[in-house]
Amino acid sequence: MEVARLPSVLVTGASRGIGLAIVKRLAASGYTAIALARTEGPALTEAIEEARGAAKGAIEFVPFDLSNLDGIPELVRELRARSGAIWGLVNNAGLGLEGLLANSHVSQIEAVIRLNTTAPIVLTKYVVRGMMAGGGGRIVNMSSIIGSTGYNGLSVYGATKASMIGFTKSLAREVGRLGVTVNAIAPGFIDTEMTAGMGEEGREQVMRRSALRRLADVEDVAAMVEFLMGDGGKNITGTVVTIDAGNTA
Amino acid sequence: MTLTALARNVRVPEQDSCETRVKTTLRAVISDNFRSVAAAQGKAIAPLADGLVLLDSGLDSLCFAIIVAMLEDELGYDPFTEAEDVCFPVTFGEFVQFYDRDR
Repeated sequence: MEVARLPSVLVTGASRGIGLAIVKRLAASGYTAIALARTEGPALTEAIEEARGAAKGAIEFVPFDLSNLDGIPELVRELRARSGAIWGLVNNAGLGLEGLLANSHVSQIEAVIRLNTTAPIVLTKYVVRGMMAGGGGRIVNMSSIIGSTGYNGLSVYGATKASMIGFTKSLAREVGRLGVTVNAIAPGFIDTEMTAGMGEEGREQVMRRSALRRLADVEDVAAMVEFLMGDGGKNITGTVVTIDAGNTA
Repeated sequence: MTLTALARNVRVPEQDSCETRVKTTLRAVISDNFRSVAAAQGKAIAPLADGLVLLDSGLDSLCFAIIVAMLEDELGYDPFTEAEDVCFPVTFGEFVQFYDRDR
């Protein structure tokens, strides 16, 4: 299916890090990026202004807390009424929980699973229905290399990121007949707030162990999302794209 | 045009007649969607009688998902999301009733 002019792509967790890079990239390529986040934040405000000045695509901020699962059906209904059909969905929002499992409180574990696994599945349920009725669409789920390699102190986070891969592969089979592609991206250690806690020594170690001797960055992930949303991604579904500068090679 | 808008445009003197016509319209909207989805998905569909068991209709679960999405666009509500139980209607008549109940 050919991509229509200025199609809408919904990106969750878009106020910073990878999500922010994705909405900026999509807007620069002519998409209307619907930036979902709890609060806008100065970086997203700046990106919205920049996109307005560039006059190619657009970034629209929509405040929403994805842990409010009951509000998701109404959110999607409102988005479709406001912005029309949603061509793409990027399930990017995620919560990191660092620490030994034995010391984690059950409420913390539940919060991570709710935001990283349940919320994207429920959001996809309501967004994909419109794609199915419309005859096509693109879904990208943000996984992580931690979902397959594991990492000390990230067991719950790793479990949720592995769940995104299983979800991606099964859903791709469910909706492929209708022209909807579903893929996952597994970033490695990327320079964002989530990896800031690693410290310089930790970052050096990751770089030394990576084939390309550097860290991947948010722009690499954003470029892959743009590729998957466009015509180049039309025959790619049910797969996981690893972006880690060769850390798991 | 949504069902509510259709109902608003119906000019009949008797309340019962209006209600009957809205019900007829709802059934027609649902039937049209069943047929159009069947045609788009290349499925042969059985005659849409009340007693038709949905599993024997010729449509598969993917078709029903599309029908529910299209009906939400057209009618403005999704009784499956709003329902407290998780059961799916068994017959075509029950399917229409399910939408009529939540209207």
